Amino acid sequence: MIRFILLQNRQGKTRLAKYYVPLEDSEKHKVEYEVHRLVVNRDPKFTNFVEFRTHKIIYRRYAGLFFSLCVDITDNELAYLECIHLFVEILDHFFSNVCELDLVFNFHKVYLILDEFILAGELQETSKRAIIERMGELEKLE
Amino acid sequence: MSNLKSVKVCFYYSSLAVSYCPQNDFNGLTPYEKKKYVWKMLYIYMLGYDVDFGHMEAVSLISAPKYPEKQVGYIVTSCLLNENHDFLRLAINTVRNDIIGRNETFQCLALTMVGNIGGREFAESLAPDVQKLLISSSCRPLVRKKAALCLLRLYRKNPDVVNVDGWADRMAQLMDERDLGVLTSSMSLLVALVSNNHEAYWSCLPKCVKVLERLARNQDVPQEYTYYGIPSPWLQVKTMRALQYFPTIEDPNTRRSLFEVLQRILMGTDVVKNVNKNNASHAVLFEALALVMHLDAEKEMMSQCVALLGKFIAVREPNIRYLGLENMTRMLMVTDVQDIIKRHQSQIITSLKDPDISIRRRALDLLYGMCDVSNAKDIVEELLQYLSTAEFAMREELSLKAAILAEKFAPDLSWYVDVILQLIDKAGDFVSDDIWFRVVQFVTNNEDLQPYAAAKAREYLDKPAIHETMVKVSAYILGEFGHLLARRPGCSPKELFSIIHEKLPSISTSSIPILLSTYAKILMHTQPPDPELQNQIWAIFNKYGSCIDVEIQQRAIEYFALSSKGAALMDILAEMPKFPERQV
Repeated sequence: MIRFILLQNRQGKTRLAKYYVPLEDSEKHKVEYEVHRLVVNRDPKFTNFVEFRTHKIIYRRYAGLFFSLCVDITDNELAYLECIHLFVEILDHFFSNVCELDLVFNFHKVYLILDEFILAGELQETSKRAIIERMGELEKLE
Repeated sequence: MSNLKSVKVCFYYSSLAVSYCPQNDFNGLTPYEKKKYVWKMLYIYMLGYDVDFGHMEAVSLISAPKYPEKQVGYIVTSCLLNENHDFLRLAINTVRNDIIGRNETFQCLALTMVGNIGGREFAESLAPDVQKLLISSSCRPLVRKKAALCLLRLYRKNPDVVNVDGWADRMAQLMDERDLGVLTSSMSLLVALVSNNHEAYWSCLPKCVKVLERLARNQDVPQEYTYYGIPSPWLQVKTMRALQYFPTIEDPNTRRSLFEVLQRILMGTDVVKNVNKNNASHAVLFEALALVMHLDAEKEMMSQCVALLGKFIAVREPNIRYLGLENMTRMLMVTDVQDIIKRHQSQIITSLKDPDISIRRRALDLLYGMCDVSNAKDIVEELLQYLSTAEFAMREELSLKAAILAEKFAPDLSWYVDVILQLIDKAGDFVSDDIWFRVVQFVTNNEDLQPYAAAKAREYLDKPAIHETMVKVSAYILGEFGHLLARRPGCSPKELFSIIHEKLPSISTSSIPILLSTYAKILMHTQPPDPELQNQIWAIFNKYGSCIDVEIQQRAIEYFALSSKGAALMDILAEMPKFPERQV
């Protein structure tokens, strides 16, 4: 399962953090610091998978943002890598050519999208169309 | 949300955001203002600041009557709180009302929060209601897929909440689901259920194979679930994962259908230019490989798998190389392919030196797993070489693995002694006491080994800077067996003593007792006694006789007394008897 999802920029600022396992605030800060250090120093030519404590981080960089998923050791790495890409595609579609600022100023919407995509640390829906449609429904209710 | 910038500025200039919005007035705010306040609190929290206010406000919004406020309450609560926060329980009743209520949107909010952060108490109160939603035909797929994953979480928190009787049939029915969103979520639920109790859910096995067939043939798969031309790769992967929890497939038809699908995947996955398509198709391929290994298929299929893996570990694409190494390691554990894998040994050794630490780790695991008597020497020597340049994160694991392999597969014992001494030399900090104790045991138990070990220890002592563990090992060995070397150049008792004693200033207090024992033994073995040496050593014993450390003091005084007794000493400080063989 996915233990947490992090979106961090190159400087280490967290743009999105969702935890599916209970962690205290101080632990979260430590984790975010360590994950950032881990992924920001890796050469782009290296694998997108790196061991982290007793789990694995699957990560990919999109422009100035690092998308990191912390998963179990036995999980399918490539499947989660493409899960990250699907999420990016959804964000790209929703925000029309998404950039970091979109995510900053609309972080509440990003959480809504994420909650349609992943639940309980597992993939909930893999149809971009279904998720965007749902977001449309929710906008009408605001 | 345009005044987010002002929040940041405000935060920098004021000590706490509390001054931005007074807590006691929270209930006096309009719904819109409440919403804004709580969202901003989340933003501040996300930036990494400590937010020790506002939790109650967020939770209280869960009971709000209207959707916009309720939404904020639920979402912010799931980000700020977790199952260990006591006052989350205060919300259980409201949450339950939302779940069993008629408002679909509220149901979704509740299911989502519980699915993301619900704990044991939620499990006990809510599981039956969530189950009802999952199988209710009047609920939209939207609700049912959330119910499936919410139930998964509750199950993980308390497996007893899902009563197997009757539920197994429901799960089997869910596998016939047409909506792929619901099916994807339900499959995750199934994986958890089956992993704990595959017998109860055996009826889902053929259904899973049908799902796989449906996807593989692209039957009834809407375009929106096709990812770069591949029918829901994630569902394929999940389904194959579920199948790996069933020990066998009894029914021959099911078995045959499954193998057809797997064969097609194994043979039909080509490398394509598009990175995402390539990753997705290979995600499916690697899961299929794992399933084939699990099913322990016919030899032919297995060799196909090994051949594929052999190809993968040599490609340039790092992800595939990584997965090739990882899966090859897994393969070692399930089946007898050691010989075929050994053909790739040189490629694997090259990976041990890859610039990427992730790949180096996989290569190390694989080498460790494929080591046997025939290749142990080569592999251990590679590990030792790598140890010199390895970063600290890997050294402990490397040393331990090298030591274990050396002991298990040593072609001869003197090689084993060499390896351990080299280990201590290169990575002394990471060599635990157990390891050097083992070496001493072996040497003690094997008379032929003793002069060799003593000579080697003597060699290492010549090095200018040696690790403390090396000092301990060498001192012990030379104390016990140094006398066997008496005739060799540089190995007279006096020379042995002085070269060991040279190292004393550099070691810690806890190691000094060993050296004292060594001096006593050297003295004992020096027959006829050498008065000059005796005086030197007695001086040391006297000096340490008043040492503040109890162990050192005791040894110094007792050794001094014993060694003054002359010939009687021989019996008291006789050679250590053989160690009993370790019970395996």
